[in-house]
Amino acid sequence: MNNPQSQPDSTAFVHPIEAEFARILDYYGIQWEYEPHTFTLTTDDEGNVTEAFSPDFYLPQQDLYVELTIMRPKLITKKNRKIQRLQELYPHINIKLFKRSDLRDMMIKYGIDEQAANLLGTDAQTNES
Amino acid sequence: MSHYYPPEKYGQLNDDVSRVLLSTEEIEQRVRELGDQISRDYVELNPLLVGVLKGGMTFMADLLRMITIPIEVDFMAVSSYSRETRDRGLVRMQKDLDEPINGRHVLFIEHIIDTGLTLNYLLHNLKVRNPASLKVCVLFDKSRRRLVDVPLAYKGFDLPDRFVVGYGLDFRERYRNLPYVGILKSEVLHANNNGS
Repeated sequence: MNNPQSQPDSTAFVHPIEAEFARILDYYGIQWEYEPHTFTLTTDDEGNVTEAFSPDFYLPQQDLYVELTIMRPKLITKKNRKIQRLQELYPHINIKLFKRSDLRDMMIKYGIDEQAANLLGTDAQTNES
Repeated sequence: MSHYYPPEKYGQLNDDVSRVLLSTEEIEQRVRELGDQISRDYVELNPLLVGVLKGGMTFMADLLRMITIPIEVDFMAVSSYSRETRDRGLVRMQKDLDEPINGRHVLFIEHIIDTGLTLNYLLHNLKVRNPASLKVCVLFDKSRRRLVDVPLAYKGFDLPDRFVVGYGLDFRERYRNLPYVGILKSEVLHANNNGS
């Protein structure tokens, strides 16, 4: 499973968690592309794009887009709406949202403490006792 | 009736759990059902059950005693992604199978699948060895986080999107010995990640 398209050290990631995610994919031999496509969500009367969405990753072998967000659960309404709109307009597109709690659990699982610590404080894991 | 101790017997480990998701009895019952099904499906095939160390050993130990046909067992271990291993490149095999599997009916036993990254890697590794068949039995499935599709022939439970421990599932190598699956208290998760 070669990985010719992956270049985590030379890609200009917006957030460090994206670089870590790319390194995890590389480690397990999964090809990825960073923000390769932009999808138009809305246009004005003259056809100009007024809203667009570029998912963070595309995994070509899986034909899957992955969007990462470190926003707290109460603040991801806009992101959820964009993904919902994307799915309405492009029903053939497979996309998965990795939420703050997903990324936190992933970093804990792999022992990446510095990234996990940055993602604590979410209300995604509550004490239900 | 379970032959395991009640949860409170596990002291601090049990105190760190906010809620039990799957009781010991529920897990035992489902493992028995999986064992029955595998016994029926693999009759006269002499399957090789392949487990993954370390997390999968609990499920493997219980499952194989619920299978009533002749079987053989082997284990694999691979390096997981970590701060220490990430600069070394790809996954490294830490323990390979003891015998060749070409022509064998292999049933891969894993305790949990979430992203599917590790399982996908291992299945690719096994497929090139030309087994007669290669199927997967997973006890716990966190499908919402799946990045790589892996066909599951046998599945025990769907798990919610929470940080769970017990029955082989760990947090910093602890809690694997809890005989049930529970949600770890958030303060335990936070305390450990703040270095306290």
